[in-house]
Amino acid sequence: MLRDIDDFLAGRIGRRELLRGGAGLALGAGLAGCGLGDSGSGSKKETEKVVKAKPDGDLVYFNWSEYLDPALIKKFEKQYGVKVRQSNFDSMSSMMAKLRSGNQYDVIFPDQSYAPRLIAANQLLKIDHDQLKNYDNIWDFFHDPKYDPGAEHTVPYGLYATGIIWNEDKISGMTESWNDLFREDAKGKIFVLDDYQEAIGMANLRNGFDLSTVDPDELDKSKQMLIDQKPLLRGYSTDDIQNLINGNAWIHHGWNGDVVNLRNQVKNPESYRFEKAKEGIPVGTDTIAIPANAQHPGTALLFLDFMMDPENASQNVAYFGYPMAVKGAEDAFAKIAKEDPAVQITLDDVTNGQQYAYLTGEDKALWDRTWTEVKAA
Amino acid sequence: MSAVRAPAAEPPVQAAPAPSKPPKPFDRPRFLPIFTGAFFVFMFAPIVIVALFSFNSSKSLQRFEGFSLEWYRRFFEDESLRESLVASIQIATVTMLAATALGTMLAFALVRARSRWAGSANILMLVPLVTPEIVAAVSALVLFTQIGWQLSLETVMVAHITFSISYVTVVVRARLAALNPEVEQAALDLGATRWGTLRLVTLPELWPAIVAAALLTFALSFDDFVLSFFTTGESPQPLPVRIYSAIRFGVTPTINAIGTMMLTVSALLILLAIMLPRLLGRRESGLGVLVGRETA
Amino acid sequence: MSEQRFATTLLLPGGLWLLLLFAVPLGLVLAASLGSTDDLGNTVYGWHPENYRQAFDPLFLPVLLRSVGFAFATVALCLLIGYPVAYYIARYGGRWKHMLIALVVLPFFVNYLVRTYAWVALLADEGLVNGAITNLGIRDTGITFLNTSFAVVGGLVYGYLAFMILPIYAAIDRMDQALVEAGKDLYGTPWNTFRHVTWPATFQGVLAGCVLVFLPSVGDFISAQLLGGPSTYMIGNLIQQQFLGADNWPFGAALTAILMAFLSIWMVLYLRSAARASREAAL
Repeated sequence: MLRDIDDFLAGRIGRRELLRGGAGLALGAGLAGCGLGDSGSGSKKETEKVVKAKPDGDLVYFNWSEYLDPALIKKFEKQYGVKVRQSNFDSMSSMMAKLRSGNQYDVIFPDQSYAPRLIAANQLLKIDHDQLKNYDNIWDFFHDPKYDPGAEHTVPYGLYATGIIWNEDKISGMTESWNDLFREDAKGKIFVLDDYQEAIGMANLRNGFDLSTVDPDELDKSKQMLIDQKPLLRGYSTDDIQNLINGNAWIHHGWNGDVVNLRNQVKNPESYRFEKAKEGIPVGTDTIAIPANAQHPGTALLFLDFMMDPENASQNVAYFGYPMAVKGAEDAFAKIAKEDPAVQITLDDVTNGQQYAYLTGEDKALWDRTWTEVKAA
Repeated sequence: MSAVRAPAAEPPVQAAPAPSKPPKPFDRPRFLPIFTGAFFVFMFAPIVIVALFSFNSSKSLQRFEGFSLEWYRRFFEDESLRESLVASIQIATVTMLAATALGTMLAFALVRARSRWAGSANILMLVPLVTPEIVAAVSALVLFTQIGWQLSLETVMVAHITFSISYVTVVVRARLAALNPEVEQAALDLGATRWGTLRLVTLPELWPAIVAAALLTFALSFDDFVLSFFTTGESPQPLPVRIYSAIRFGVTPTINAIGTMMLTVSALLILLAIMLPRLLGRRESGLGVLVGRETA
Repeated sequence: MSEQRFATTLLLPGGLWLLLLFAVPLGLVLAASLGSTDDLGNTVYGWHPENYRQAFDPLFLPVLLRSVGFAFATVALCLLIGYPVAYYIARYGGRWKHMLIALVVLPFFVNYLVRTYAWVALLADEGLVNGAITNLGIRDTGITFLNTSFAVVGGLVYGYLAFMILPIYAAIDRMDQALVEAGKDLYGTPWNTFRHVTWPATFQGVLAGCVLVFLPSVGDFISAQLLGGPSTYMIGNLIQQQFLGADNWPFGAALTAILMAFLSIWMVLYLRSAARASREAAL
């Protein structure tokens, strides 16, 4: 092999061969230029396919991990005689990345800032409400939410608030403030959510800015705050439940329902607490949607309907600790909120509170760049 | 492919290697054997521990509490993990067959041909060997998305084959270059066709290298993570990708079991690759072929 | 059939495969690196060289520098550990030489992930090593091994050590023993013999090993991900994040192109040196 290399360097294999090899590269670049890859927006027609709610194959399910009661999955499987193939994402960005790679899912769970994005790009199937027996069970507000006018493409899932979860056995003296994520005495045991919206948003609130500000100077300050925080962190992660259970985290940036879910899994539930920060509380709604390229939309419709059933919704609420916008599931959450008022969140909170905005174009690019810079520093 | 590839470059031959004489007693520094021993302990300790604790009856990583096949049982009872195992084997098998075929043909062409295209093909073949895995994985991902090929088992296979061809070519070519072309020439003079010569004269001499390359391709594909990670579909995913997802959650004993099983498979394959030529009557071992005893 | 035609026929399948499935995708990556993204994060081709400018932004340069730094540290450690081991096996291995080398190689056919994970299991705060430390009373609390730069470099060393040992072993194995004997007579001390005879004779092997360890280490992301923390981001992690976690393929493609170019420079330098040495040796 050295002989070839020697030949190459001595110029015996010369420009001609290099040119030919380079032709391959140019071919690739040229194909790209001709728009070979047009994996962009879908067509509106695809989103308006007529689909009947009946089993048409196994359900390909894509959600956060530990965010839907496994018992309900089994119940769905038995009820309709299908299997549920589960995959998990760990942030909205990675959900989008997988969708972009062309993976075909039947149900996905975008939040209220990503749903409009997908709708605008004709990526979500239009839902025929007549196919959903339980449509009227959905809280009236969500029949026409701002992020999805007419609720044509989504049904609501959990309502959430972001705060801080901690292990009282390991650390105490929390102050109901985002400052708790910057405690020197918990150095190496703190996690921040590995999500650009949550992390930057948190810094924005602590700085006194708007949650979703797009002012470059303000974002710069928040970026610096996050960079300065890094030496205190154990890591960035959205697996708040697991990190707290296995002891890697004493303090974790996390969501209100997760503390309830966590408590169900450990022998010492009283040790784990949740607090909301006085500087500002990000709130929002998660939704369930069906991608336009779903292979089994019929089963998917059945699944949406299944989750809007009051009995199923109540069971889910008890599992994951968030309220669901289904009439008849309110009591399940009221019980949880009574035991721990800290995790309370109401529809009022969500409609009047600070939500992550649907950022586009330059604004989104700015946030993306800020987050990459934080990670790289 | 996985992080492991046989060294692609060879130091120059200084002089005919002298026969190794046993070293004289006062020659041998005591430091070296101890250091080497420590090295082997360092290398094998984590692997031994993983294997050991895969039989642990409890979840603990600190105390070995009793022998149990629990974690293996859990692995085999988990349908999706079984599917991943099957998927990894399928990918590795297809990769092995395709890459060996393409690579061997390429090796033959590069050694024997004065073809105009040989030069460029040579460079094209060498570049993947020096391409970092992540670059390779990223370009494969970009390709598949741009041509609209949904990620699946097949995309992983294609990616693996692409980066295995070069390896097969290098190994086979080394052996081929060392063969005496005059025997083939004689066969041709006696009236054999080119294909016949290939089959009856060249291949019998060549096959230890081909088999060694094939088995190694299988092992590397089976173990590969980076390429698979970027090009896999949702289900089933190859085993290393499942391991990665599980590790992100923290250390769980089922991973120990999976790791030990993969380790055993790979070890058996490597041993097979090394021993096979010896077992079937050749003088040199497969190891010689692999470590690249080409005389450039 | 003429030999030419025969050979060209054999060349076509592999050659075409590599052209279409390796060279073309690299071209696509180059093209993507000059593109931008739409609102869904899809790549839109265009002319945006600012992706490259952004990569050299003061905030990203540290990542590249850190990757190179880690890689250099890895090479140095691999050399320090690998050379003595290679020397011992090659010179004193005797009949067991082949088996010992096979044992060196064997761990490297264990899945890289599983090997790295094994270190996670060993070094975790509740892992074996810390368990031993606290149980034996060496310290009260454990040591935080993981999520540090040391752990990352340690993982890289563990992952690529064989690449250093094999070429050095081959070089030492080929070395003419008579040279060493002569050197001993000439130079007296073992150290001088080493410096003036052994080292220069094996230098090409050392160089090969260094390159084989350096190249993959720079682009590695697994060690940093599993053993590192938020402050040990390497360029491989950054690329991975852009493609699988964030919405910015063009920037990721630009980083990939830069990485490839950077490594190619080293590769060419090495090949020149190796080819020159080869030519000199043949004289």
